[in-house]
Amino acid sequence: MSTTGESQNIEQATSAITDAPDNKTRRYDRQLRLWAASGQSALESSRTLVLSSSATATSILKNLVLPGIGHFTLLDPAITTTADAGNNFFINAQESIGKPRAAEALPLLRELNDSVDGEAVLKDVKELLGTEDGRETIRSFSLIIAHNLNKDVLDELAELLWADLTNPPLIVVRSAGFLADFFIQFHEHCVSQPHTDGTPSLRITRPFPELLRWARELDFDSVDPTTHAHIPFVVILVRAVDDWRAKHDDKLPSTSAEKNEFKAQLRAMKHKPDEENFDEAEAQAWRVWSEPTVPGEITSLFTLPPLSASGPTPNQSFHALLRTLNAFVGSPGGPGCLPLSAALPDMRTDTESYVKLQNLYRDRSLHEKEHFKGILSEIFPDIAAEVNEDELDAFLKNAHQLRLLRGRRWGEWAKDKSAIAEALQIFPRDAGTHVALTALSTLLSQAPDGSAVTADALRAEVQTLVGEGVELPEEVDTAIGELARAPTAELPNTAAFLGGMVAQEAIKMITKQYVPVNGYCVVDLIDSTTGIVGTP
Amino acid sequence: MAAATVLNGNAPSADWPGRYHHVDQILDKPGPRTDPSFLAGPGVKEFLRDQCKILVIGAGGLGCEILANLALSGFKDIHVIDMDTIDISNLNRQFLFRPKDVGKPKAIVAAEFIMSRVPGVTVTPYYGKIQDKDDDYYMQFNLVICGLDSVEARRWINATLVNLVDPENPESLKPLIDGGTEGFKGQARVILPTITSCYECSLDMLNKPTAFPICTIANTPRLPEHCIEWASVLEWPRVQGDKKLDTDNPEHIQWLYQVASARAKEFKIEGVTWSLTQGVVKNIIPAIASTNAIIAASCCNEAFKIATSSSAYLNNYFMLIGTDGVYSFTFEHQKRDDCPVCGGESLDITISREWTVDRLIEMLVERQDIQVKKPSLSSGGKQIYFQAPPQLEEATRPNLEKKVLELVEDGGDITVTATTLPFNLTLRVKYT
Repeated sequence: MSTTGESQNIEQATSAITDAPDNKTRRYDRQLRLWAASGQSALESSRTLVLSSSATATSILKNLVLPGIGHFTLLDPAITTTADAGNNFFINAQESIGKPRAAEALPLLRELNDSVDGEAVLKDVKELLGTEDGRETIRSFSLIIAHNLNKDVLDELAELLWADLTNPPLIVVRSAGFLADFFIQFHEHCVSQPHTDGTPSLRITRPFPELLRWARELDFDSVDPTTHAHIPFVVILVRAVDDWRAKHDDKLPSTSAEKNEFKAQLRAMKHKPDEENFDEAEAQAWRVWSEPTVPGEITSLFTLPPLSASGPTPNQSFHALLRTLNAFVGSPGGPGCLPLSAALPDMRTDTESYVKLQNLYRDRSLHEKEHFKGILSEIFPDIAAEVNEDELDAFLKNAHQLRLLRGRRWGEWAKDKSAIAEALQIFPRDAGTHVALTALSTLLSQAPDGSAVTADALRAEVQTLVGEGVELPEEVDTAIGELARAPTAELPNTAAFLGGMVAQEAIKMITKQYVPVNGYCVVDLIDSTTGIVGTP
Repeated sequence: MAAATVLNGNAPSADWPGRYHHVDQILDKPGPRTDPSFLAGPGVKEFLRDQCKILVIGAGGLGCEILANLALSGFKDIHVIDMDTIDISNLNRQFLFRPKDVGKPKAIVAAEFIMSRVPGVTVTPYYGKIQDKDDDYYMQFNLVICGLDSVEARRWINATLVNLVDPENPESLKPLIDGGTEGFKGQARVILPTITSCYECSLDMLNKPTAFPICTIANTPRLPEHCIEWASVLEWPRVQGDKKLDTDNPEHIQWLYQVASARAKEFKIEGVTWSLTQGVVKNIIPAIASTNAIIAASCCNEAFKIATSSSAYLNNYFMLIGTDGVYSFTFEHQKRDDCPVCGGESLDITISREWTVDRLIEMLVERQDIQVKKPSLSSGGKQIYFQAPPQLEEATRPNLEKKVLELVEDGGDITVTATTLPFNLTLRVKYT
């Protein structure tokens, strides 16, 4: 083996150590491709409290333990019944019968992932709600999930958690037979990485100086044919818009005749019919039909007051960044629109032009980030000092698709009879199932074994909920019929389905990535549908 | 007696009183949407627990969930096929596997786990390919559930089950329930072979895989992906010769990563990482436990409803998008009369009189509703072009340059075959 070969091997061996992923990264690879290290670290520092260790509760936890949450507590005083031993995968069948259910489930959940910490507390949540220490324990978690919790206890818990803006969110899950719904109680939820498919502006109609200079200085007619066939569509469009504006009173093409004329102008720039970069420019011409405006959903966030004008308010830095963004858009030294994204789509061009373009976008985007930071330090010096670079980058990169959700208190919608009556008209199946489940929870609070549940009793409860005299759509009776059939049935498939759904929402809440559901998500596993009602 | 059996454990149908308290609420009486043919009570329970035989294809992300759900629902004779072994990257969702199981066959480990956790259930594993089994094998099941990540395997089982249908024998119709996930999205569907839309009918709903033009890879790379493709498609065969690229081998990925990094450096392209290299060459699809749980539960729920008639079942497609809130769409996917598997009619294509055989092949490879690699063509028993064996390929190669019109008359049929196609596709050709 030659010396050069050897040294190359040493280099390879060294880079192998630094580049190949470690075991943890390999284990989580398929999920890191969705929520990256930032989402993973949020999961790992989260603490979830789960009320009940029913089949549904353990299914939810399974889907949180596998991706690696930090800690969970099962709070459940129940003793394992013969029925639990039959429908719960995280119970040791007959061996567990007669033993505390949470303690039986704990090791079977923990063995799914060594890095997750878990405990079983064999107490009733009522007990915790009764003491200040207990209430403080509840509030100390990052998320609380309750499955088929007694209605009155649930109301008390929801009230406790709603009482302070900084308390953790609560996910309420109810199910019977093939029907279910779930709801997330939260005051406010900010998403700086929603992963929706919005495309940021390339600023073609408002090019920054370096880009405009390139488009203007390039002599389209004298470059060699190869170069001409590789001019990036961005440069072609910037030039075409520049030319168009010079001839059209500085206006963009707006009527359909003008748009066609603009496209014709692009075609006329071709030297040969098969220049695909010009075809691409024509296909991307929609980018010049309007100026880069700030989307309405984003401007509405600019004026949204924080939940609390004085005292601690959640998501303080997100609000500060939003206000800074507003100031940025209107600032004299700014672009007059949202900050430029450095992300450039692929296009038909040569390597050199693409890399050059990419560098222009990156430099400009860094320049605007500095401008943004300048404004931030000026108006929010405290936030500027503590906000980290990753957080800032994520915010700026997603400026065009940021999301802020304002939630609702558990049970608040139920009091709005006219809203429910309206929902029954518009979404009869989903709203019908929701009110039927509410009626069921009232009857079960009177007799947990389901002995008070009949179709008539459910119907009477529903009528009380929506108001006497309100006509009920037949979907309500369909839902009532199913609940009367199986009032306390926790079907393994329904439990598994909810296990996935609720864990999914929990992950979104914890990572602040992707957009959680706001309202009641209603599940019907006979028709195999989901629907949302009661969105604020 | 029953209690003694329970204490001794492992009796084949070790049911204890109250075991099915939850499921029995459904099986003991009908609901408002239950078909009148449902016979509530002991009969349906006995069928579900003592007679029904169900096949699960795939013991991966969906398969693990499916097996657990079926076992808890009361299915006791479950078979599972999977050709894969356990990898560390499966452990974030395939919850029947532990680090000590890495390297072992999925089907076997999953079957053992289910049997140890849920008494009285028999799970019969087969560690191998679905194509190893013949019609008699598939004929023994009442239902088939698929949790696969491969289009090719799905097409094969779909075509096999459609072909199995004998109109004279109702038992030959095996409902096929198919699930699939990608990140926060997924779908579940019920296929009644020959009656409803089949997997092949909906092939055009699949996303087109990203393909980079070879000239971009060779001459004008712009993205890190282009550099990685260069390393795997061009450099690997050039440097490594006949050595087969194994994308599961970390040393091979390491090599590609280094070659791609060097090229990226040369062209000043940023962003080549180990993880991206692996993602591109293995075509990795993100996967999480929660989405698999939802889709597998939906599949098993349909299996339970079909096996027991306790409620109406899905007609026939459930699609879920969980990225922005929870959005789902349940609809009836329509059967295609010209579906090459279940439609019976040939597929009409209209092409130019000037088209050569080569151009026709290019079109077939590109079409989303056909999805064929390396097709061989014949017409009325005459070979037009055959990809293999080499002698036949050589003999038919001159036809590639000929116009289709010279070989097939207007309105004539062309039969398309390929190793990746589990059936023969008949095209009816018209010329413009």
